[in-house]
Amino acid sequence: MTTKPELRTGSHLLPGLAAVALFVVIATVILRASFGDPQGFAADAPITASIGYAMFDLEMGAVPGESFLVAFEIIDAVLVAALVAAVLLARREQDGEVVALLTDGGREVRDRLRESEDTEEGER
Amino acid sequence: MVPVQWYLLLAAAVFCIGLFGILTRQNALLFLMSVELMLNAANINLVAFSAYWGNVTGQTFSLFTMALAAAEVAVGIGIILVLYRNFDDVDVTTAAEMRW
Amino acid sequence: MAGAFDYAPAIVLLPFLSFLVSLAGGKYLPKGGAFGGIAATAGSLVLSAWVFLTVSAGNVYNETLYTWVAGGEATTLAFGLLLDPLAAMMLLIVCLVSLLVHVFSLGYMNDEGETGLPRYYAGLGLFTASMLGFVVADNLLMAFMFFELVGLCSYLLIGFWFREEGPPSAAKKAFLVTRFGDYFFLVGVVAIFATFGTAQFAGEGSFPVLAEEALNAGTTYFGFAPQTWFTIVGLLILGGVIGKSAQFPLHTWLPDAMEGPTPVSALIHAATMVAAGVYLVARMYGFYALSPTALGIIALVGGFTALVAATMGVVKREIKQVLAYSTISQYGYMMLGLGAGGYVAATFHLLTHAFFKALLFLGAGAVIIAMHHDEDMWNMGGLKNKMPVTYYTFLSGSLALAGIVPFAGFWSKDEVLYEALVHGLGGSPLLLAGYAMGLVAVFFTGFYTFRMVFLTFHGEPRSDVARDPHGVRWNVKGPLVVLGVLAATVGFVNMVPVQELTGIHLEYLHDWLAHGEISALTSEHYGELLHDYAHYTSADVASYVAGAMSLALALAGAGAAHVLYNVSDPDEHTEKLGAVKTLWYNNYYQDEYQVWLAESVVLPISRVADKFDQGVVDGVVNGVSSVSLFAGSRIRRVQTGVVTNYAVLLTLGLTALLVVFGLVGGWFA
Repeated sequence: MTTKPELRTGSHLLPGLAAVALFVVIATVILRASFGDPQGFAADAPITASIGYAMFDLEMGAVPGESFLVAFEIIDAVLVAALVAAVLLARREQDGEVVALLTDGGREVRDRLRESEDTEEGER
Repeated sequence: MVPVQWYLLLAAAVFCIGLFGILTRQNALLFLMSVELMLNAANINLVAFSAYWGNVTGQTFSLFTMALAAAEVAVGIGIILVLYRNFDDVDVTTAAEMRW
Repeated sequence: MAGAFDYAPAIVLLPFLSFLVSLAGGKYLPKGGAFGGIAATAGSLVLSAWVFLTVSAGNVYNETLYTWVAGGEATTLAFGLLLDPLAAMMLLIVCLVSLLVHVFSLGYMNDEGETGLPRYYAGLGLFTASMLGFVVADNLLMAFMFFELVGLCSYLLIGFWFREEGPPSAAKKAFLVTRFGDYFFLVGVVAIFATFGTAQFAGEGSFPVLAEEALNAGTTYFGFAPQTWFTIVGLLILGGVIGKSAQFPLHTWLPDAMEGPTPVSALIHAATMVAAGVYLVARMYGFYALSPTALGIIALVGGFTALVAATMGVVKREIKQVLAYSTISQYGYMMLGLGAGGYVAATFHLLTHAFFKALLFLGAGAVIIAMHHDEDMWNMGGLKNKMPVTYYTFLSGSLALAGIVPFAGFWSKDEVLYEALVHGLGGSPLLLAGYAMGLVAVFFTGFYTFRMVFLTFHGEPRSDVARDPHGVRWNVKGPLVVLGVLAATVGFVNMVPVQELTGIHLEYLHDWLAHGEISALTSEHYGELLHDYAHYTSADVASYVAGAMSLALALAGAGAAHVLYNVSDPDEHTEKLGAVKTLWYNNYYQDEYQVWLAESVVLPISRVADKFDQGVVDGVVNGVSSVSLFAGSRIRRVQTGVVTNYAVLLTLGLTALLVVFGLVGGWFA
């Protein structure tokens, strides 16, 4: 007999009222605000091409936009940094020697295995 | 076209659902998922205004926020791993050592 | 060539320099700093003589030397010098007596092998500098500061032998009793500043001149008529004078101050520090002369003190105690003179008393050296054959003290009593009461003085030490001879009775004080003030008549002492007075009374004040801190450590902020 997962309800849901209150406030503000006339895009405007041109500071896009080259380069750097950070956080060390998340392509494991083979042969 | 207030309301609703998740969730991974929701709500806002003003800035910007969200999740998962190693539990309410 | 006045600050600074030298390097100097002190006071004496000569040629100096608070429109606080005839005379007195005391100390302290001499000579140097600074002060605040310094030096020197029990207690008593009077003095100084905006003694903007103008104009102060207010302020300042000059009721410290070394007693408690109070009244006489009530109180206090102290001196056993009560009594005469309008008479008595009392104390010091520091007169006797120089100089001083013609004390004391008599008969009966008390005191003065002389020097020696006394050297005898000559002759500067009898002009001191460039400080001007504002008029009595009366009483007292004590083996005749003797011996129980006041009245008040301070003032401060601590211990519980709680707080804060901005910015309008 299995039990289905139950939705946990209880007093721990009380802080969620803050989120509801925030939604009410934001909704009120939005509904009372007035916006200017919508411009919208032309029917056959090349939007994706314009996004690409805008991203590399090339002014050839039909739809207007700002230049994002610097942001592009920075995001590149951020992603690399995030990758390195993730790997670093995931390493596990025991007595100074890395035990999990090896980054040498399996060389260490192969050497360890070879060592144990040699000793076994030596014993025999 | 659709009046922009609906898009904004949608974004606000998604944001507040994500906020609700942050305020009530105990599992760290679900906490991270709620953060992702909030980021996406911001993206909806950006794209809505891009369509309203006829300017691709909003859409380009939202691409960058997506990349940023990915980076942030990578690091966040790493942090949860370390949290688990130290507290044996992904429950955010057990990791309450820095208190009065 | 620069005038004497340009070098005048050096008069004060030279002894101060000797203080510093003794303090810093006294233990390396051969006599512990004595020669430095002697050189400094000799230098000050030379400069004072030069200033005296310059002033006698008619010049006066009243300059501000250093402004330490430049108040602009409001009060300015400064140091300055005022060198007029009165100050020049006092400078000479202080420097001369200080020099002789320094020389005497070589014999009293150095030759007796005392330890801690650098401290002693440093104290003497600082005292001399402070007293000289007080004498030349040109404003009341500077005078107050040096007044206090002089009291401090008195404390340091009385408590010189601090390892015994008596001296430190006596030093504390001296300091506390004079400090009690000085508290009123300080309030008086502040009142002068508040009333006149200045505390200058002389010059056009000085407070006596301003007071006279205010009295003419009738300006009221704080709701009081001007004369009433000036009386109040004058009485406040009198508090300090009564304390410092050891008048009743603040006289109790002076007999105890005899615990200090005898040269200190000669310098401080005979000739100079106790003179500071009387000098202050004389300096401010233009202010006191405006208020007959203040003058009357001064005269009464002086006369009463003169009598009471003379009675207490009659029954004492120790030679220095007799001299201490004699000092109190003689300063009572000076206060009587000032209160009775006899400015010249009181100043004259100040001059003569400084010399003969210093002489008597130094003579007592010589006797004490000879008796190996035993002061009880009943152990002495027959010393006149063994110590002739000491005996004759002591006799000269005693004749001056008792007021026997032609020694100095006769002329000055007689003139004080004469002024009290004529102004009393002229319409102020209070002064007659003072005169009567002073006259009775003359009898007692003659009696106790000669009792002291006969017990110490005449008769048969009453103990082994008296039979074979310790010898004294030139450094003790020299000052005694100088002062002995002065005690005999200085009275000739103002022989008023002889002038009246013969018509020869002999009142030099009167002339010295009567004229001067600063007209507001002359005795002529004071006479006018006394006539116009205090309504003192002089009756017509010949001064030689009054002089003959006081001389007769003095001789009667001396004669009584001669009959009772000038025998080879005198009895303790004072025992026959019975209960009166007990009363006089215990100083009318004034010491016990003051201790009772302190314990029963002041102590409970201070306990209440302490409770207020601890409870209310400290309580408020502690309360503030405990509020902060309590608030902190409660508010820190917000930090639960659970991240979601922080997120809740963030969200609530954001919502509240948005609502506020919306309401203010009109988003919901």
